[in-house]
Amino acid sequence: MAERQKLQRPPRPVLDISAPRSMRRAGKWTALILTAFIAALIYLGYTLITESSFYMAKSGSTTYGIVCDRTGDVLFDGSQPLTNYPAGQFADVGNLIGDTSGQMSNTVVAKHLSELANYSFTYGNQAGKAKVETTLSHSANRAVFNAFGEKNGAAVAYNWRTGEMLVCVSRPCVDIAQGYANLDSMPSGSLLCKAFFPTVPGSTQKVSTLLAAYEAAGVDTVNALQFDCTGKWVNAGGDTINCHQAYGHGTQDLVHAFANSCNPYFAQLVQSGIAPLSSIIGTYTRMGYAVNGEKADTLSLDGITIQPASTKLSDANNFETQWGALGQGKTLVSPYQLMLWQGAIANGSGSAVQPYLIRSYTSPTGEVTEAPAHGATPQFFTAAAAQGVKDVETQNATDHYYISFDGYSCGCKSGTAQVNDDGREYENSLLAGFCLDDRAPVAFCILIEERQSWEISTAQIARVLLNAVSGIS
Amino acid sequence: MTKTKPISHPFLLLLVLIAHAAMMLLVILSFGITPEVIKLACIVLTADFVGSIILQIVQREACTVDTVLLLVIGMSTIYQSCFGGLEFATKHFIFSVGAFLMCQASYLVTRNPYRAERLKPLWYFMFFALVAAIRFLTGSRSMWIDLGFITIQPSEFVKPVFVLICASSIRTQLKKSEYLGIHFVPDNLLLIFCTAVIAVLQWWCRDLGSLPTFLAVAGLAVMLRFCYLREKISVRLIVFLGLCVVAAGVFAWKLAPAYVQERLHSDIWSDMSGTGYQQVKALTAIAEGGWFGKGAGNGSLIHVAASRTDIVFSTICEEWGLFTGMMTVILVLFLPASILTVPPRSYYHSGLAVGVAAVFMVQMTLNIFGSCNLIPFTGVTIPFISQGGSSMLASGILAGFLKAAQAPVLTGRRTEKGES
Amino acid sequence: MDFTPLFEQYPFFREAATAFVVIFVDICALVILLAAGRERRRGDRGWAQESRGYMLACEGTVYPLGAAEILIGRHPSADIRFSDTEVSRFHALLCLSNGKWQIEDIGAQNGVLVNGRRISKPCTLHQNDAIQIGKHRMTVIKGTGKGVVS
Repeated sequence: MAERQKLQRPPRPVLDISAPRSMRRAGKWTALILTAFIAALIYLGYTLITESSFYMAKSGSTTYGIVCDRTGDVLFDGSQPLTNYPAGQFADVGNLIGDTSGQMSNTVVAKHLSELANYSFTYGNQAGKAKVETTLSHSANRAVFNAFGEKNGAAVAYNWRTGEMLVCVSRPCVDIAQGYANLDSMPSGSLLCKAFFPTVPGSTQKVSTLLAAYEAAGVDTVNALQFDCTGKWVNAGGDTINCHQAYGHGTQDLVHAFANSCNPYFAQLVQSGIAPLSSIIGTYTRMGYAVNGEKADTLSLDGITIQPASTKLSDANNFETQWGALGQGKTLVSPYQLMLWQGAIANGSGSAVQPYLIRSYTSPTGEVTEAPAHGATPQFFTAAAAQGVKDVETQNATDHYYISFDGYSCGCKSGTAQVNDDGREYENSLLAGFCLDDRAPVAFCILIEERQSWEISTAQIARVLLNAVSGIS
Repeated sequence: MTKTKPISHPFLLLLVLIAHAAMMLLVILSFGITPEVIKLACIVLTADFVGSIILQIVQREACTVDTVLLLVIGMSTIYQSCFGGLEFATKHFIFSVGAFLMCQASYLVTRNPYRAERLKPLWYFMFFALVAAIRFLTGSRSMWIDLGFITIQPSEFVKPVFVLICASSIRTQLKKSEYLGIHFVPDNLLLIFCTAVIAVLQWWCRDLGSLPTFLAVAGLAVMLRFCYLREKISVRLIVFLGLCVVAAGVFAWKLAPAYVQERLHSDIWSDMSGTGYQQVKALTAIAEGGWFGKGAGNGSLIHVAASRTDIVFSTICEEWGLFTGMMTVILVLFLPASILTVPPRSYYHSGLAVGVAAVFMVQMTLNIFGSCNLIPFTGVTIPFISQGGSSMLASGILAGFLKAAQAPVLTGRRTEKGES
Repeated sequence: MDFTPLFEQYPFFREAATAFVVIFVDICALVILLAAGRERRRGDRGWAQESRGYMLACEGTVYPLGAAEILIGRHPSADIRFSDTEVSRFHALLCLSNGKWQIEDIGAQNGVLVNGRRISKPCTLHQNDAIQIGKHRMTVIKGTGKGVVS
């Protein structure tokens, strides 16, 4: 039966009506666009959720949490009017921590608005535990701030072993608890942190020049160099470089010239060619200077930007170049960067531990996130050069600062910067150094503006600083 | 003959009814039971009911498109009625109904691909008529024609016409002409010309917001036509075309006029009260809304200009939550996605479907990602969600094309029923 | 009836209600999407009727006629493709219109033969018609299933 049917009529095939490839192509294109759109939509959702705190913070639609120091002491409080705090409560760190007024943009609060916003996408504005914990010591900052007396300037210090920023003081300082009613009468510089602004480094620059010389010629060769100083020295270009010691220092070796901060000695060092200008430029560039208008990387301290150092070096025989290598004229370095190099010298490696300011973030709902590890800075200079400068600086401190640093094992270099501020000339006093003691392993830089000889010295403030940070963990 | 069972149809429409009822529940939770709430509920649910009955009686084809359309326009009526306080969005609702009817009308016109393509001269005529209308009837380089009682945006209606122009069948592609020894397809030449015309017109109107839509439609049309003539697109060719697009983008970026440059480079957070005002408000509103929103009618974004059109996504997110906002967007996506379930059966319909997908997708991309500051902010609408009559009706026409691709009629079935 | 005091007392309640409604509407949307899968079957049936269940059988292979226009030729984009040179690149076009499948010569060098006769104008195809394209012989056959009229 089945066979007969097969003979009569072959079995009809099952109908296949699948659309040809050319039709399915339309589907493929549509699917492609759809997939791209949905992927973008997912990305959008992710962005909206993660950045919602930023939107709320930036548009001022939420309250803010607090910024505190390493002991929990409040440095900024966004949950209540700052006027509730006593006047001067935040004066020491005001222009580092800042506030939400928008007057200062390069501050901890301004750069961490999203983290400070008391808002979460899930819980909205109800959650209110946002907190940013910094590594600063409020007590140490206040001690240093008060030590300045009436003087203006900046002091910055960090633990060169761990990278924790401990002190960052800038004067004059805005008192965020007082508001900005008297904005017009505030002294200039009140709304910025001078530690992050390049200034004339004075003889602290000789550290950089010495590092460059050590790198180019070796520590022993440079240490053995002797140059003569008669108070004035005429360079190959016919210009005179004066020494602050009118009668000169006589013939001296490097250690003494460094301690004396002898300009003719270092000018002769630059001109002698022992360290060719190209290698000085090389060292400077690695250290982060913007040499001759080249672009240098902007430094960042947990989002706060620091303008890089800059200088102009054209010809080893040229006055401007020598003057620049001595830390005057066109050379500008921020106290923060001077401190950073001291950190790289103090650990003897030529590379500093990256400083950081934020220890942890607490979300509005109370979850604590530790700041990620920060690592090390790039290699600024060789370990041998760092070790050489460390020895010279330590020697300098032992010989000349034994009263100020009594009881501490320190190294330092002082400097006097001749500033020409739109025709108004004055001198700033600087001190960059480090302490090797276990109780205060800090690298620091102190800047006192327009200091007169009878007023408080940078070394005295450094001493206050060391005392204040001693023993804090 | 086995009967085609419209299995899911009434069930789906019931689902639409239930979904709207659930949304109305939320409105009731926000406003309590007031006459206005009852009015809104009655109108939306009655519209659903009537719509489904009409669909049951008239035809049972392409239920995905119709169902999703009913769902979306009902939802958008509820949204638009609740923004910042309850007031029935009469105009929006009327245009929604208009869009639904337009969808059916354009389905009737385009369901036969042969006939739709035979009418191509008409589409070209309509295209140039609309272009002329924009050029000569709109006031002072804007895209609007003011008729006193109503303003029409002819550029919205150019979109469906342009999609009709862009789609093409293999037969048209085989009609080659020769001039000076160069072989060419007249239809392709016309397409390029029309694209150029619309680009120049948009440039002249200083409104480049819709230009990406047209370029995307034209680009995909060229891509599809290219595919007719060449089966495989090699990786090298795709890379080459991609590079061309990138180069053109960079070129356009550099050459863009000052008012466009300003938009491309502005940082909304540095000018929160100026150019960035709308976006800052929109983003903040989404953040304030959170996952499930502030509740219908509790939003404050309504006080910002264009809250019902250009930044409508944020307005929905503020009141109904990000979850609902996203869901609404995905619902609108169901429309162009419908051709993934039922493939088109003719070249012309597949061209239409891809064109509609491009229009919907690009419009939504520009609107949503623009208002959320991921791309430059332009004033385009989300189909069916944003307020705006012209855009609503044009979107309805586009949805009709999708329906046509879903249920083509080659005039055969009805006459053949008695045969064999 | 006003629910505002209730929500003020229990803010969580509104969140929960919103979440419930949103998820519910989402489920509705999902079901619609799933139902669209059935739409596919309906579309297939519709097409099976529209195209009368015709297919092309050629040398042991069965070519489905899944679109209103089917291009036959040597060109890579052809839906039914033969690679020997006797077939022109764009050889013939099968076209469904008014419930009839028609074959059309679109500039083939060697012509299109239906039941042994070379065609010059579109020719309507019937079941068991023989089409010759180059050296390839094809037969119009009718498939079963999918609601095709038998």
